[in-house]
Amino acid sequence: MSDQIKSLPRPIRQPWARIILAGPVALVVALTLLAGMPLWLPGGAAGIDNLIMPLVFAPLIWAALFFHACLDRSLVRVAVIAGLLFLVHGALIASKVMNRAPTTEKAR
Amino acid sequence: MIHLKKDETKAMVAVHGWSGICLGLLLYAVVLTGTAAVFAHEIGAWSAGHVATNSTFQQPIDANVRRLEAMTPPDFREAVSLFEVGDHGLGAFFHRDEVDASGTPIERGIYYQLDNSGQLRATVRGTSEEIFGPRNDDALSSFLVDTHVRLHVPNPWGLLLTGILGLAMLVAAISGLLIHRHLFKDIFTLRSRASPVLVERDRHSVAGTWSLPFAFVLAFTGSFFSFFGTIGVPVVAMAVFGGDVEAMSEAVFGNPGKPDPRPASIGNLDLVTADAIRRAGEEPTFIAIENFGRADAKITTFHNPRAGDIEPVALLYNGADATFVRAKPNVGAGPSAGGTLAGIMGPLHFGNFAGFLSKAIWFGLGFAMCYVTYTGMRLWVVRRKEQQRSLAWLERTLTVVGFGLPFGLVACAAAFLVSMPLGTAVFWTTAGFLIASAAAILAGLFAPSNDVLEKLLKSATGTAMIALPLLRLFVAGGPGWTEAIEAGQPMIAALDLAFVAAGVWLVRSFWPGVRSKREAPAIREATATI
Repeated sequence: MSDQIKSLPRPIRQPWARIILAGPVALVVALTLLAGMPLWLPGGAAGIDNLIMPLVFAPLIWAALFFHACLDRSLVRVAVIAGLLFLVHGALIASKVMNRAPTTEKAR
Repeated sequence: MIHLKKDETKAMVAVHGWSGICLGLLLYAVVLTGTAAVFAHEIGAWSAGHVATNSTFQQPIDANVRRLEAMTPPDFREAVSLFEVGDHGLGAFFHRDEVDASGTPIERGIYYQLDNSGQLRATVRGTSEEIFGPRNDDALSSFLVDTHVRLHVPNPWGLLLTGILGLAMLVAAISGLLIHRHLFKDIFTLRSRASPVLVERDRHSVAGTWSLPFAFVLAFTGSFFSFFGTIGVPVVAMAVFGGDVEAMSEAVFGNPGKPDPRPASIGNLDLVTADAIRRAGEEPTFIAIENFGRADAKITTFHNPRAGDIEPVALLYNGADATFVRAKPNVGAGPSAGGTLAGIMGPLHFGNFAGFLSKAIWFGLGFAMCYVTYTGMRLWVVRRKEQQRSLAWLERTLTVVGFGLPFGLVACAAAFLVSMPLGTAVFWTTAGFLIASAAAILAGLFAPSNDVLEKLLKSATGTAMIALPLLRLFVAGGPGWTEAIEAGQPMIAALDLAFVAAGVWLVRSFWPGVRSKREAPAIREATATI
């Protein structure tokens, strides 16, 4: 069995791990980036670039994550990059939500 | 050129094949109806026999809007949208913004439909979701657009489905680019005097190579449109505006200014339309009036891109005195990279940035993509059918969808032309499509062979296409060519000719003595050489 797997092309080895990274993981990370990017991107001349850029590039962001998961020879690298992007943007979103909560309480 | 290693190329071939075969049939439906929808406006004018020569915005609209204002309860005078309906008639939607039970912003109001002479033809009350459905005179073009945008699945699921199809197409386009080893050679290799096998393979390869960048652009812009309102805006609004979608819309699309709620009559709209036409070079496609009846009213006119430009034009006017304020981007209060990018997504997707020429190119490349999608799936199936006989049903399904869908679309056009004079076109256009689709499925079940099925569906489609101009003239009572050309609608005659030419091309291979050389064994040989 292991010989059969070894004889497969390298990017097709460990197919389920790759499928999970290219499928649900890429989707969740892309959504997290979509929500998190407006919090650090500059607003630009009209103050809307941070809102619009992630929306415009969302399909390409997902495609980049998908193809990275398909083509990178190291699955660990794929997981680390996806994990880092998820953690950094997730933390930004959490921080924004937690900062908003006390403000809302105060307003009440 | 990107050169991948052999094993990476193999992985990309697998991704390319499976992305196509899993969603290819639905993708084919979306691309085919999208190709037709490039000319949705022209098909609408052809099918309903539009002969009004002037746009509604080239005629006085001010008095009509004031008359409608007087008929409208004050609750619905918060904002007004003005646009063309039917044969250069005026559509006016007086409305207010609301938030529904699920927290989604909606517009509720009264939608007036006037004809080209200013007569009120219909009044509909409700939310924008409820009232902007197909009408008797635009049921055919609406059907095409609705199939392309959401496959008739209710929103948001329909948009999500077409968005996923867009992503599948993006994957197929990028992986297609990565696996091409001789991209530039493939663009120009079309050996018309070679053996039928090589001719078939070359055609597939050339169509695929030329449509690769186009496929990328369409998939990218299409998935952007599908996901923008369904996922993108709610997610960004959740992160930045605490879930307030209306606040985000105001930040992105609103016209900032100091609120002035004092009552004030709206300025002369005829001055606005005349000035907008002079500045933009053509009549508006849409006019939005915010804070209607207030001193801080704002009027925005939206136009197609100017000649030689790709970004649509928007002009801002003070509502109270109808004076010009400034040109503004379609997205954002001022020029910005994000606003420009979002603004050009529409023209890039619809191909309407250079008039008929760009539309014709988009139609041609769209057709090439249909060809590539269909032949790609067919090659995949035929190659594997040799080892796995159970795939024969998939080959037949491909034929039913590949040739049955055009047959269904032509049949629904015929049904529209017959039922429009009776006022039942909204029902019969859809019913005609469903009946023709059922007939194609039955033919798929009972046809003795796949070749017979293909010939049957092609000849039925061709015959129906030849009949369309006759139905338009003699059943729907549409204008003749002279009348149409005099009214500035040469497209009516052009579409008649196009339908007859396409119909004759489809049925000609079944005339005695003219047999198509393109047969299944040839494709099988071709696949063996790939």
